[in-house]
Order: sequence, then structure tokens, then C-alpha cells
Amino acid sequence: MLDLFLQAAWKVVLAGLLLGAGLPALFALGVRFTADGTGEITTPGAAPRAGFRVLGLVCFLAVAVLVALGITVIVAAGLGKTVSFEHIFPTLVPKG
Amino acid sequence: MSSDAVLLVLVVVTALGFDFTNGFHDTANAMATSIATGALRPKVAVALSAVLNLVGAFLSVAVALTVTNAVVKIQDSSGAPQARFLDGHGYSLLMIVLAGLVGGIVWNLLTWLLGLPSSSSHALFGGLIGSTIAGLGLSGVNWTGDGTKLDGVVWKVILPAVLSPVLAIAVAAIGTWLVYRVTAAVSERFKEKGFRWGQIMSASLVSLAHGTNDAQKTMGVITLALIATGHWTDTSAIPFWVKLGCALSIALGTYIGGWRIIRTLGKGLVEIRSPQGLAAESSSAAVILASTHLGFALSTTHVATGSILGTGLGRPGAAVRWGVAGRMVVAWCITLPAAAVVGALMWWVGHLVGGLAGGIVVVAILVALSTYMYLRSRRTAVHAGNVNDEWQGTPVPAAAHPVTV
Repeated sequence: MLDLFLQAAWKVVLAGLLLGAGLPALFALGVRFTADGTGEITTPGAAPRAGFRVLGLVCFLAVAVLVALGITVIVAAGLGKTVSFEHIFPTLVPKG
Repeated sequence: MSSDAVLLVLVVVTALGFDFTNGFHDTANAMATSIATGALRPKVAVALSAVLNLVGAFLSVAVALTVTNAVVKIQDSSGAPQARFLDGHGYSLLMIVLAGLVGGIVWNLLTWLLGLPSSSSHALFGGLIGSTIAGLGLSGVNWTGDGTKLDGVVWKVILPAVLSPVLAIAVAAIGTWLVYRVTAAVSERFKEKGFRWGQIMSASLVSLAHGTNDAQKTMGVITLALIATGHWTDTSAIPFWVKLGCALSIALGTYIGGWRIIRTLGKGLVEIRSPQGLAAESSSAAVILASTHLGFALSTTHVATGSILGTGLGRPGAAVRWGVAGRMVVAWCITLPAAAVVGALMWWVGHLVGGLAGGIVVVAILVALSTYMYLRSRRTAVHAGNVNDEWQGTPVPAAAHPVTV
């Protein structure tokens, strides 16, 4: 019984850590790059570096895509489907 | 209307009432941090959370009919009530469900009065376990399942309840530490502003997860009562009006907002800044959604509280009020047994009176207790206007510092 529990529990731990701590870190990276791009940095003499704003945007976009994908996986499971990456672009296919 | 139908109506209304307290009790899980940091105005926060709970309740299309199977043996594996209950139009089953629901509601209201975030799922399961023990004896409870899969009170309720806050604390602490590490050089003003959007988005995810997770429990209970009385036969679907009723009821509860609990979670436990809010809500959303997806029915409250605690541990220089944290942990530990005691008492009262009158008396007791607790709460009302006031008396012993400011 305990091994059944642990089998399922480690997946929760992994997903929790990757998404629960990883996504905020990625978002923070976006904030950091945007701050670099607009000169909102506390380091003395730091000048705005325009290119970094794009990097920041990429981070925010990545967070948004990952969250949308996560919700899709969960809603799909409720509908008895699963998300397939067979064609690179995620598509819904019947579970099984 | 026949007396069977009246009892059924009482059960349905009480179940919707439980769903309402469920929403109302748990608004804080998603929105306490956004309200505390000022990312959202209190009224806007509860409205947003209510809408997302409503959407979430409809997204939970997976059939929740076997929800009671995890803790008590009143249904078979298809979701239909066990045959022994079908005499007398399911009377004995309805009384167990009714007493269990009343146990859950009373405990939810009492913890709200004390400003304590306790688990609504535990209150419901506790109430049902208590009324089942009273009605059927100890053997009516599914303690550990049959050993072939994760099942029963121990594996599906108690163990996840112990481990999920620990995981949430760890995830939120690591997330907070990373966020502060990455943004160390960013100016304070920009940090506060930049993280607001992330905070609102992550809090919205938690609201959505709450709707999918919690509303379906009540849907399952109502449908069970309908099947037991012969008003519904399909064990693979839930009547649309039940879905709609539960979704509206949890959303309305969320909108009314349990301001006392919001205050405890947002101001009492730790002082929260925007980056911490993002880290806490992301941790809650990830842990709740991942575990629901993998079949653990855990408490959104335990996870959310753990995350907020973790974010206090992860930020350099932040302080956690351990007195408040201690009171919460005590509330978690006693929620299941306390709701069980109320559930059992209600079953005995109903049984003693007997018949339809028993059901009416139980509901009358519920109404009386609820009214009393509501009036009691008015003396020290917490509302959208004062929810963010300074937390009085920082770390003092829990007994000397009432949460119901």
C-alpha cells in the first residue's frame, strides 16, 4: 500500500517543484530582464539595455504558454482525452 | 408533497448550503495574498474568484459520483447506493447524508467565526464518517480500502493531509527564494509593480482549481440522494440542475467572502509582498492541480496555508507568526474528528425523533446554530473595509491574541 502511495506521490512532488517553483522563477527572470531593459536596476550606473525587454517578453510568453498547456491537459483529462505532441503542435486525442 | 420528497428537499438544500460555506470558507485560499498586497481591491478579488469558481465547477466533467466511497461504505463502486438502503425510499441513507452535511456546515461556520482556515473537504468527510458510525457502526467506514488501490480514510484523506502542506511549504519556500534571488538587483518599486500581474494570474488559477476540486463533491452527494430516492438512475452522469445549483452556490459563497479567514491568511500568518504572493499561489495551483490530476483528493486549504507559510520562510528577513500557524495546525488536526462528532450527534437526534420529523429537527438545529454564529460574528465584524488593518499584537501567545479582531 505504501509503495502504491509513493508511486503516485513522487509525481506530485516533481510536478509541484517544476511548475510551482519553476514558473515563478521564470516569471521573475522576465521581471529581471524587463528591469534591465528599462533601467529599473539598483546597481549604480546601470543604463537601460533595450534588447533585454525582448528577453523579458519571451519569459512572460513562455510562462503563459506553459500555464495554458497545463490547463488544457487537465480539462482534456476531464473530457476523457489526452494532449498529444505527435505533430509538435499540441492536439487533443482520445485517451488510450 | 409526500414526506419522502420533503426529506429529499431538505437534503438537497442542506447540501447546497454546505457548498455555499465551502466557497465562503475558501475564498481566502486563492485571494488572501492578492488582497493583502493590494494587487486587487477586496471586492474585485472576491468577484473574480467567484466567477472562476463558477467556471471551474463546470469544467469538472469527470464524474464525481463515487465521492463518498473514499471514506464510507454507503455506495457500491458504480456510484449507486447499496441495496440495504433502498427500503423506505432510501430513508436511512438520506438521514446519514443529512446528519453528515450538518456536521460539515457547523464545523465550517465555527472555524470561520474563529478566523481559522480549516479544510472544507475534511469537514464534509468528517461529518459523513461520524453519521455513518452512528448509523451503521464502525464497520460502515472505509478505513484503509481493500488493499488493491489507494483507498479509504487513511490513504485518501489522512496521509495526503499530512504530506500536502509539507510539500506546499517546500515548493513555496524554494519558489520565493528563487524569485528574490533572480530579482535581487531590481528596484523595489518595479518589483512590487512587476509581480502584481503574476500574482493575480496565479491566484486566478487557484480559484479555478478550487471550483473543479470542491464543487463536484457536493454534486456527488446530491446525486447520491437522488438515486437513493429513485429520482435519478444514471450512474454515469450528474443532472444538469445539480451542476448548475452547486456551481452557483459555491460561487455565491466565494463572492460573500469569508473575510475573517482572508484576514488571518493575508495579514496574520506572514506579511506578504507581491513576489511572495506569486510564489505562494503558483505553489498552491501546481500542487492542487497535479495531485487532483493524479487522483489525490486533498484539501485546497491545507495546500494554500502551507504555501503562504512557505513563502514566509523563503524570503530573507520575513517573519512567520508561529502562534497563528500553531492554531491553524490544531484546527486541521481536529477538523475531521470534530465534524464527525457533530455528524454523529445529529444522526442520533434524528434517529431519536424518527421519521420525517427527525430530519426537520436536525435542519432546525442547523438553522439555530448558524443564526447564533452569524449574530456572534456581527459583534466583531470583519469585512472588505477592515480586512487589511494592521495585525494587532505581533508574536504573542495564541490564547492572548484573538484572531477575530
